[in-house]
Amino acid sequence: MQYKSQAVAKLYFMAAIGLFAGQVLFGLIMGLQYVVGDFLFPAIPFNVARMVHTNLLIVWLLFGFMGGAYYLVPEESETELFSPKLAVALFWIFLIAGALTIVGYLAVPYATLAQMTGNDLLETMGREFLEQPLPTKLGIVVVALAFLFNITMTVLKGKKTAISMVLLLGLWGLAIFFLFSFYNPSNLVKDKFYWWWVVHLWVEGVWELILGSLLAFVLIKVTGVDREVIEKWLYVIVTLTLVTGIIGTGHHYYWIGAPEYWQWWGSVFSALEPIPFFAMTVFAFNMVNRRRREHPNQAATLWALGTAVMSFLGAGVWGFLHTLAPVNYYTHGTQVTAAHGHMAFYGAYAMVVLTIISYAMPIMRGRAANSNRAQVVEMWSFWLMTVSMVFITLFLTAAGILQVWLQRFSSTPIPFMQAQEQISLFYWLREGTGVLFLVGLVLYIVSFFVSGREKTSAA
Amino acid sequence: MNPGAQNPDPMTVPPTSAYPPGDLAVWVFIFAELLAFGVFFLAYAFTRMRHVELFDAMQGTLDRRAGAVNTVLLITSSFCVARAVRAAEHGASRIGTRWVLAALACGAGFLLVKGAEYADKFGAGISLSTNTFYMFYLSLTFFHFMHVILGMVVLAVLAVQTRRGDYHRGNMNGLESGAAYWHMVDLVWIVLFPLVYVLR
Amino acid sequence: MSGTFTKSMARNIFYGGTVFFFLLFLALAFDTNSALPARDNRANLTPSVIAGKKIWETRNCIGCHTLLGEGAYFAPELGNVYKRRGGDFIKAWIKSQPTGAPGRRQMPQFNLSDKELDDIVAFLKYTSEINTAKWPPNIEG
Repeated sequence: MQYKSQAVAKLYFMAAIGLFAGQVLFGLIMGLQYVVGDFLFPAIPFNVARMVHTNLLIVWLLFGFMGGAYYLVPEESETELFSPKLAVALFWIFLIAGALTIVGYLAVPYATLAQMTGNDLLETMGREFLEQPLPTKLGIVVVALAFLFNITMTVLKGKKTAISMVLLLGLWGLAIFFLFSFYNPSNLVKDKFYWWWVVHLWVEGVWELILGSLLAFVLIKVTGVDREVIEKWLYVIVTLTLVTGIIGTGHHYYWIGAPEYWQWWGSVFSALEPIPFFAMTVFAFNMVNRRRREHPNQAATLWALGTAVMSFLGAGVWGFLHTLAPVNYYTHGTQVTAAHGHMAFYGAYAMVVLTIISYAMPIMRGRAANSNRAQVVEMWSFWLMTVSMVFITLFLTAAGILQVWLQRFSSTPIPFMQAQEQISLFYWLREGTGVLFLVGLVLYIVSFFVSGREKTSAA
Repeated sequence: MNPGAQNPDPMTVPPTSAYPPGDLAVWVFIFAELLAFGVFFLAYAFTRMRHVELFDAMQGTLDRRAGAVNTVLLITSSFCVARAVRAAEHGASRIGTRWVLAALACGAGFLLVKGAEYADKFGAGISLSTNTFYMFYLSLTFFHFMHVILGMVVLAVLAVQTRRGDYHRGNMNGLESGAAYWHMVDLVWIVLFPLVYVLR
Repeated sequence: MSGTFTKSMARNIFYGGTVFFFLLFLALAFDTNSALPARDNRANLTPSVIAGKKIWETRNCIGCHTLLGEGAYFAPELGNVYKRRGGDFIKAWIKSQPTGAPGRRQMPQFNLSDKELDDIVAFLKYTSEINTAKWPPNIEG
């Protein structure tokens, strides 16, 4: 570790992994509820489990991004963090606020929670992914701004590299677009239209800047390829991402009451969205092939390459599958969307956070890389989780295609619940693979505690 | 300041820059833009096939003369930019600047003509939601219109830099990149004009 | 590639391209806003509909159902449920939950008053009249 203050990242990473485990547990509960409908009812109804599942995902990714930024920025800027104390304080504030929110979801009915937390003052709750009570939303803004202040001040007093600038832009964008979560007009079409300014412009916009810069940072470290080369390509790839992704928002505007030209604009630009992901895959493999050192942390390299491949498959290929308006007309709001969502979030964002953790954690624990034994366990967890996710996606895709056929495409369409019963086999298979994913995650956590002879060379 | 007086005739000296001229980064960008336009053009052609009568009738409402004038303006501006590159390469910064400004003037002319066309259509209450043809017409031309504006911003920066004498043999990257981008803007219009205004 | 490839050019194109496409997006969003009145059924945004939307939100309906295709995929699409089932059925359905049928997916009992039930139906009726470009493909949602 080159700068002492980078160590604050450790807290963030540990919290991220813990919340990740929580997310997967709730995912398994939901997966079971898909086939055993009354499982845990009425203690944890599906909508509560889902809220916990998706909110934990968002929060652990945010922890990962923040931890990544705290680790990356001092090293890139070649200076200590502006205020490590602020970073630690924010960590606890964010963790406690997050935990209270989850407890709130689980402990009281949502309507009661809304009343208790001042939803009547400003109605923002009850929209997908933005279910957080008003105080939590405000807390996110405060934490994000204080975090950005800390990071920005660090960059300003130190060196400004392409990687830290792209990261900073992504993080600022994240905070700015979150502000649209406070806009909830009664007009449902407008509500939905601007809801996507948070959701889409996050995951297919500014978050990809964060993804790109974290990946570029790790690639520089593990391959030893010239920074100049990697940073050029980082710029080119994030340019392509935003060129296609911003107007690509249109693929959400086909059927929600927005004008119909979005079917064309959305289709044209989102059809090009796989290109930056493909470029990223080619780029990552190229850099690793041209490596100028053998970094002892093989696991981190594996995660980095995995991120490139899986984000291309999940976001690029599975996104493209149903992004064209004539296809989306049938697949919109089915398990096909769920399939894409799972692989894209895992492949792009979960994996990039695991990449930076894999690279940075050993260093923060005083070694260049973990022992061989620990790395082998970590690589096993990589393959278990990744292959499981591929199969979860395949099963959900099969379920989705069948659902579309039964409910929407055939000449004698059947009602939703009847269609669901017909495809329950695929839900069982998905749940089984989900358990395998959990095994992978447990192995991943175990890998942190596997000892063995450590490698001390390189850095 | 480069005095530009002792320069040889730009046309007699062979160019020395690497091929392709301009930065790889700008070519990737041009490639992405052409792809977006290309897919949009294909979508237009495909939709036209299914609504031939509507498209024929609506194309009749377009001002083809204005479109033709704009085509001439953009081709001329492309020529000007090409001359500017040549001039700068031979140290004739001042002449180069004039060519860039000439290109900029052509671009401004394009915006005026196109603006008048838009004013006419918007005045008649036409919008993106009027019908499928106008959806395509406005989408394609407006997308291109914005590219002309962006191209002009680039040209304006290039004019200042050229005047400052930034570009000379050995450092042509910025000017060539900007020129390549401007040619792309021109090229798109050369496809767009016949496709949307003329071909029936 | 024999040509040049510089970081400063890549950076300029990144910033320029981002600003350009964001402005284009804003222009389209602006047009959307002016085109919406013809499509979004705002004329029927009565106080009852607005109250109904709040009930929809504070019961976290989106956590199981989709509305115009967005939400969770655990329970039926409700954007067109008013047309599929009608107001009386919807009220009776909500009142009779949960079914308690073993092994079946369960919907919680929300203890809505008659006024609240009227509001949620008004909201679902308003939603069903939004011009969604003929989506969903059929009445089953």
